[in-house]
Amino acid sequence: MTTALIEKPSTAQPAGAGKRARWRRAVPGYVMLLPFAGLFAGFLVWPLLNALYFAFTDFNGVRPPSWVGLENFRRLWFEDPRFRTGLVNSLIYVSCTVTLTTAAALALALAFRGTSWRDRVLRTIFFLPSVTSTIAVMLIWRWIFSGERFGLANTVLSWFGADPVSWLSTPHWTIPLLVVMAVWGGCGYGMVIFVSGLNAIPEELYEAGRLDGASAWQQFCYITLPQLKPVTTYVVITGLIGAFQVFEAVYIVFRAVSSVGGVQDSGLMLVPYLYDMGFTKFQLGYASAIAWTLFLIIFVISMIQLRVTRALREL
Amino acid sequence: MMHRRTLAAALATMLLAAGCTTTGTGTTPRQDAEGPAELLFWNTGSDEQAAAMQVAADRYKELHQDVTIKVQAIAWDDGHAKVLTAATSRSGPDIVSGGLSWGIEFGELGGMIDLNGYDVSQAKQQTRPELWNSITSPGGAVYGIPMDMTLYVFYYRPDLLQKAGVGAPPATWAELFTAVDKLKASGVPTPLVEEWGTFEWLPWFNYLKQAGGSLYSDDCTQVTINSEQAVLATTTWADQYRKYGVPKATVDVGAGLAKGEYAMAIGASYLAGGFDSGQPELKGKWQTAPLPTGPAGAGSFVGGKIVGAMSYTEHPQAAADFVKWLYTDEAVEILQREVFTRGGELYISPRPELLAKANASDNLRQTLQTTLNSVTGPPNCKGWETSGAEVSKRLQAVVNDNADPRTALAEAAAVMQGNLG
Repeated sequence: MTTALIEKPSTAQPAGAGKRARWRRAVPGYVMLLPFAGLFAGFLVWPLLNALYFAFTDFNGVRPPSWVGLENFRRLWFEDPRFRTGLVNSLIYVSCTVTLTTAAALALALAFRGTSWRDRVLRTIFFLPSVTSTIAVMLIWRWIFSGERFGLANTVLSWFGADPVSWLSTPHWTIPLLVVMAVWGGCGYGMVIFVSGLNAIPEELYEAGRLDGASAWQQFCYITLPQLKPVTTYVVITGLIGAFQVFEAVYIVFRAVSSVGGVQDSGLMLVPYLYDMGFTKFQLGYASAIAWTLFLIIFVISMIQLRVTRALREL
Repeated sequence: MMHRRTLAAALATMLLAAGCTTTGTGTTPRQDAEGPAELLFWNTGSDEQAAAMQVAADRYKELHQDVTIKVQAIAWDDGHAKVLTAATSRSGPDIVSGGLSWGIEFGELGGMIDLNGYDVSQAKQQTRPELWNSITSPGGAVYGIPMDMTLYVFYYRPDLLQKAGVGAPPATWAELFTAVDKLKASGVPTPLVEEWGTFEWLPWFNYLKQAGGSLYSDDCTQVTINSEQAVLATTTWADQYRKYGVPKATVDVGAGLAKGEYAMAIGASYLAGGFDSGQPELKGKWQTAPLPTGPAGAGSFVGGKIVGAMSYTEHPQAAADFVKWLYTDEAVEILQREVFTRGGELYISPRPELLAKANASDNLRQTLQTTLNSVTGPPNCKGWETSGAEVSKRLQAVVNDNADPRTALAEAAAVMQGNLG
């Protein structure tokens, strides 16, 4: 009855009047979007396009940029050993961080998915690092891994009679420390997403599984994990983008022992390298090429991830 | 649908074209604007140092009624990027102070005025030639003149040395490492530490000079880092960490000396100001000496800050006049007094003859005076700014990966030669 009432006038009206009415209804929405659209265009689209242009120029920030075509990309991809170091470090760091963060987040979500006070409090505690000032957190990590005897890690070692370790100035420790920091800081956020995903899985599926005699592990493998695929995809892709963009951990924590990138570039990642080339060495054109290369890498990996997930879903 | 796509493509094309219209900025200094000058000075360093500089700026205003200078502190951590942003946008401070190498860096980019056009010959005469050479670009331009100096100082605890059977501060490399062994045996956990560019090329540079080596030839045409002297310096420097337990990370020198965890430290002169105020229990327990000498004698690095005028300032003459005024007896006296009063720090003027009036103990003043006779500033050769970090990595590989010093220095030389052009 209601449908008929709504449809009747629309069929009776001429086509032009319907369009005008729709337009009139839409205008306030578009007007309200304008402030965001302006900011989006001014602070995201415009800088992006500028960076794309600068990537094809030799620009030092002060003198006018000069067009060099693909030279920056050629140098970056075929001649720059620091870029290769940064890329390899980034790939190792991203794969370790995303895998461990996702696994830890899922484990935490399974453990604390309930509505009891204990679960709520623990979820809050695990989520806290996500909303704490990054700089403050990084300064604490710097203290924890200080090479001096008062550093927390070295204090713990001293209880067992071990000599202090120069954590931050020993290259083979750099990536593991960065991964530890990232997993600690990121698993709480992933946990919250997983909890919402877990609570959205219909209970009937588990009931049916139990009736069929499925064990807890089988329920997890054949009900929980498949049902969590969209959520897992989201957690993995956002984690991957965040991990590729790591900067503060490298810049702040390892600042105590070296310039950008950690000792012997052992912690050099793509964004710190971009910063180094742009703001230390004034090669803003080259830095823009790094930025767009980073974008392409993230874009391609995300696309692959989405395709793989879709293919798995269709199996 | 097609129409919408066409519209979106046109919009994207327009935005792309608009994005590509950036033409950069000119580099020609502006002419002096008429009327009273109001200048903004970004002083890299602490708030206390900026406050001390403001006192000097206020005195300058009393002498030059039509010039007002407002001093703001910018932090060392992001000062470099801030000044670059100012130079890029051609807005911000009229005067900046910052690292000794910043003048050449920003000047060559077109961001700072060549002060040769404002007659800085007096300042040149008053500054040590090693320092002046460091701030002069290979082409002869002077984009910023030295504002203060930082020297390397050997700090030590006489009581701990005596307890270990070391009668006097070590004067040579051999004495230094003998002292380390004795102190370790006497129970000092970390006898020697380094601060100021810890585990980077700066402390290594001291050993290089003491071994008689250099980074480049005097005329900047040749890289000389791969010499036998440099091999000796690198081996000795690396042995500090490998054999004698010098920490590779930056440490709190004052706290360590106060607790007796450290007995000796090779560190910057600015550390001296914080010992007595930060560690009252250390008062009267520490002394200083020049760095131990090597086979070629004494030698150490001198750093500090430059001060210069940005190329876009509307008042280049007033800015340059103030910069030059900072070399007067009166300005130096104000800065020595105010920097010490406000932050407890030692202000070392680039005019070495005024060191005698600095707020420091006789022992420290004597150490600085002796050190000044054998200092070398950072090289002004093309590409050193880019090469410095690369050299550090090769040196670090000697310590961390047991790389052969000759190979490491040869690699460093190749990088430096490439950047030299």
